[in-house]
Amino acid sequence: MRVIRGKTTEIVAFISSPIIWVKSLMYLKEENGLLREKNLILSLQIESMLNLQIENNRLLGMLDFKRQTKLYLKPARVVNKGIQPNLLSIVIDVGTLDGVETNQAVLTPKGVIGKTIETGESASIVQLITDVNFRLSVRVLPSGATGILRWLGNDKGQVREVQKNVEINIGDKVITSGFSDIYPSGLPVGEVAGVHDERGSFQKILNIQLPNDMSSFQHVFIIVGEPNDMD
Amino acid sequence: MFLLLWVNQMIWTSFVIPGAATWLIQLLFVDFLSIGTIRPDFLVILVLYWSVKYGRTVGIVSGFLIGLLIDLSGTASFFGLSPLIYSISGYIGGYLSGQYSRLNPIYFTVSWITILAFQFLIFCTIQYQDIWLLNPQIFWGKWFGTTLYTVSFTGIFQVVFPLHKLS
Repeated sequence: MRVIRGKTTEIVAFISSPIIWVKSLMYLKEENGLLREKNLILSLQIESMLNLQIENNRLLGMLDFKRQTKLYLKPARVVNKGIQPNLLSIVIDVGTLDGVETNQAVLTPKGVIGKTIETGESASIVQLITDVNFRLSVRVLPSGATGILRWLGNDKGQVREVQKNVEINIGDKVITSGFSDIYPSGLPVGEVAGVHDERGSFQKILNIQLPNDMSSFQHVFIIVGEPNDMD
Repeated sequence: MFLLLWVNQMIWTSFVIPGAATWLIQLLFVDFLSIGTIRPDFLVILVLYWSVKYGRTVGIVSGFLIGLLIDLSGTASFFGLSPLIYSISGYIGGYLSGQYSRLNPIYFTVSWITILAFQFLIFCTIQYQDIWLLNPQIFWGKWFGTTLYTVSFTGIFQVVFPLHKLS
């Protein structure tokens, strides 16, 4: 069945590619303007980050910390957003020939968006965060509390199984916890938008604002290598 | 021999070509019509039309095959859900076959709207079971949005291809 689904995904990707090409042309001008703006901001950030990195390396050396390697990312284009009446999965144009395997994290520059669940030679199916079976172990910063994220509708998520005694505020960052073979720690997930203390429960419930607009992204990245080279 | 050719031609013109064309439209162009994460479902409209025109057996078989095609077209989880719900829609839709002259037109219209609503209720119940537990309001919003969008398109198609004429 896995082979059949892989092959049919490739067919879907092949049929969808001309439409995606036309669609990308439609957004080209707007995207170009946004990229120019982003480029300028990033150039300025790089300048300050280079200085910070030098200082960070010096301090890490002093503390004898172990260095983490970078993630190996594979860029991919979304060629189809599924056939179902609700957006639950996407098809991307990379597969096993590009080093993509099942159960690899998929993200956009804004944050985690899903994971690969079926791979063909040149196309893969990505299970989105909006799917009912999707769960993500997350950590809230700066408190360090961990919980399980599930989708709540539109651009909202909910984190459960969070200890009640930790202090969490609206606006706290939510990242992946790293308690997973799929998602490395530290990937952005969203921001805390609400905190609920349930009476009679030992856990907090957090509402999370997810940064990705599920209806508009066209490019994603797959983490094909994890930070496994620890010095 | 002539009968075989006629049957073969009928299968192509009545089922294969409309089925493939609708599948391609759903696959390629439905994203242009999406409102947020909600899109219309043209394939269930096709199954409804087939079941009303040809009856229950054709409705079930075509619903199953269309559902299988959907699950093989980049669907992430719950492999087998689509054949189930499309078959059910085909089966219930078959009850409307040949019934227009016997039923009140309003009752007939309410019936096909109910079939579509029931199809999406099963879909949403399985696909959004968590949301149902966490926030039923969002769940009903999803169900209503999806149903209303597809029913609206069915209403538009009715102008060109009225269901009652098939029935």
